[in-house]
Amino acid sequence: MELEQFLGMSYKGSKRFTQQEIPTANATGFGAAADDYMERGIDLNEQLIRNKPATFFMRVSGDTMTGAGIFNGDVVIVDRSAKAVSGKVIIAVLNGEMLIRRLEKSFNKIRLVPETPHLSAIDVDLSGAEFSIWGVVTYVIHSL
Amino acid sequence: MTAIVDCNNFYCSCERVFRPDLLHKPVAVLSNNDGCIISRSDEASKLGVGMAVPYFQVRHILDRNNIAVFSSNYHLYGDMSWRVMETLRILSGGREEGRTRVEVYSVDEAFIDLSHIPENDLEEYARHIKTTVEQWTGISVSIGIAPTRTLAKMANRLAKKNKQLSGCIKLLLTTDQQRMALQQTRVDDLWGVGRAYAGKLINWGITSAWELSNMPEEWAHRNMGGVVGVRLIRELRGLASIVMEEELVEKKMIATTRMFGRPVTALNELKEAVATYISRAAEKLRRQQSAAKVVSVFLVSKEQDHLADFKRGAPISNYTTLPNPTSLTHELIKSAVTLVETLFEQGKTYKKAGVMLSGLVPDASIQGNLFVPGAKNEHRFLMHTVDNINFSMRDDSVKFGAAGTNKNWKMRQELRSGRYSTRWEDLQHVR
Repeated sequence: MELEQFLGMSYKGSKRFTQQEIPTANATGFGAAADDYMERGIDLNEQLIRNKPATFFMRVSGDTMTGAGIFNGDVVIVDRSAKAVSGKVIIAVLNGEMLIRRLEKSFNKIRLVPETPHLSAIDVDLSGAEFSIWGVVTYVIHSL
Repeated sequence: MTAIVDCNNFYCSCERVFRPDLLHKPVAVLSNNDGCIISRSDEASKLGVGMAVPYFQVRHILDRNNIAVFSSNYHLYGDMSWRVMETLRILSGGREEGRTRVEVYSVDEAFIDLSHIPENDLEEYARHIKTTVEQWTGISVSIGIAPTRTLAKMANRLAKKNKQLSGCIKLLLTTDQQRMALQQTRVDDLWGVGRAYAGKLINWGITSAWELSNMPEEWAHRNMGGVVGVRLIRELRGLASIVMEEELVEKKMIATTRMFGRPVTALNELKEAVATYISRAAEKLRRQQSAAKVVSVFLVSKEQDHLADFKRGAPISNYTTLPNPTSLTHELIKSAVTLVETLFEQGKTYKKAGVMLSGLVPDASIQGNLFVPGAKNEHRFLMHTVDNINFSMRDDSVKFGAAGTNKNWKMRQELRSGRYSTRWEDLQHVR
């Protein structure tokens, strides 16, 4: 290949290639220049999903979290692999029911705190209740 | 060492991820068309719900015990399966040059090559896999680890037998552990031993896997199907003889088969059903960029003899070879519908139909071909558009008239749950 090029070499101007050899060069010359800065565009999956196999979407029904900016009908992105530390908004399972609440964890107590004045916090009875953390809410999608 | 990771009561577990109220409660999932039980939770099997038994036979048990029953929701199970497998791939080092240490064996099972993990760390590693899969996907799994696939399968079975004791993990690393496991396993519970062979073996007085593993290789070659039998014996002795396969990406044939929701007697209904199956199969065909040369259709009728009302008649089938391989739905429908006409018998009642596309070749002309008339390229563009619309809007938004507009024969799926993980409109609600 190189040999062929060498043998077939003729004067091609000051550069050692022609415009036809650069697929993106077009008549205006802009294509070639802009192509170096071409990006893939914004991908919401890439931005909002950290761990795909562990990420689920859920719809919020009710006004329990309006204080946190999560409204009735919003979609929340839930990451099951994220660590549920105190202060995070989580999906909790309490006695078989899925709840969205803010988690408050101290050394011997778990509280599920709503973000509305109309509801009171739930003190989870760790000995009696069936309680688990389903996942951590990482983003909310709210339609305007 | 090699591991098999097997999801526990997979379909039931998928349903429970989004229905935490059903945790520790009996759950059962029905097959296509709500025919048989295909998955049941441990609680349900304790109540006497057998595997693969017809729905109507255990209906009284299900009703009496208030067992949660679901129609199969393959969109959900498929997505959850992908999540489990992807988690396994991430945990075992991701992809290197497009290959992984994970080989997906079925919708709910995968083998993992563990040759890079020191033996002392295997138990810890297995626990890590188990807890991570459960944490990320909500699906609980059992893991068997052994030097060969057959022994790993056996280990997994033993782990599942006593989940409390094993913690769903069983390792057979030493020859002592392997011997004990072999002694506890009957030949008919072995992976790769069918019912016919198991019967033969038991007749010869070989009942445990241990006894089988002590038979000479020449004997296995003579009596157990040649190389296959020898391989089994070697696997039982801890010599890996079944190796990792590369994932089969391209299918060699594509089939779509369904039971009808109710018996079908009219020719035009049969044609509609077959046209629908062809559309589905052609979609799969185009997705893997193949074209088919052979179209086969088969019909299964109820036996006319009223004494044997429940028995199925033998399938009758016919095929046709196309002049040129094609991936165009309307060309495939045309030949399939002609086949239905040759197979159809007036007065018969049909309960099942299927189509098969084979003789697959790469659809080279997908890129457009100078020697193919332009009209054909337009068809290809049409197919592409139809596939795109159906993929983004789901469920046959656009289809061919031949497939009919009201599907009386369509599958029964009366108890299907939401497609929680794949559909915007089916998302689980939280309060």
